[in-house]
Amino acid sequence: MGDKVIARSRWGQARFGGGTAALLSTSLAIGVLISAGLGGLFVLLTDVERPLLAFAVVVVCTLPVAAALGWAVLVERSTLTGAIDKPEDSIESAWYQKATSGAFGDILLAGGLGAAVFSFTGLEAPIGWILAAVLLFAMLDFAARYLWLKKSAA
Amino acid sequence: MENMLPQHRQELGWSQQRLADELGVSRQTIISIEKGRYDPSLPVAFRLAAVFQCSIEDLFTPQ
Repeated sequence: MGDKVIARSRWGQARFGGGTAALLSTSLAIGVLISAGLGGLFVLLTDVERPLLAFAVVVVCTLPVAAALGWAVLVERSTLTGAIDKPEDSIESAWYQKATSGAFGDILLAGGLGAAVFSFTGLEAPIGWILAAVLLFAMLDFAARYLWLKKSAA
Repeated sequence: MENMLPQHRQELGWSQQRLADELGVSRQTIISIEKGRYDPSLPVAFRLAAVFQCSIEDLFTPQ
């Protein structure tokens, strides 16, 4: 018996055995469910004048990311064009590890300095803004470190 | 770590992409190993030795 040939494509196939069309439609359905849930939560938890419009805006804004999340969870990686068999052994995995550990150290440093500044100066800010700033800092720090490692290896 | 990867690969007439495909890693991984900028994991070193039919010591030399 010969090895089974895996059909690869840009969008891949589903883990549950479906083809590309089934994968994409299921991902979209999951995305709609998540987005609608988030939109409903937003309307319930906030005091907005036009709830239907707010619901629609949240759904439109979150749908692409939610659908992409569904696709990432459901896709069988080995059916993607260009996917390598052992990503954990590739240098990109090492870059990822270095970038995340470096970013973690930066977050500790920045968090400590930020806490000291806020304590000494008596500054106050909404906790939501602070968490968003920490998240943005972590993402930018990771991206900068990863790209730097990639550029250094070129 | 110094290595003899380019010599072994050229003996087989393989491109970096061909070797990467054989090992299941990215081409950038092969480039970085050959330049000595990345020390491969033990499983990759064993797979390299198996591909080139030699020992790991024949491929890599500690600096």
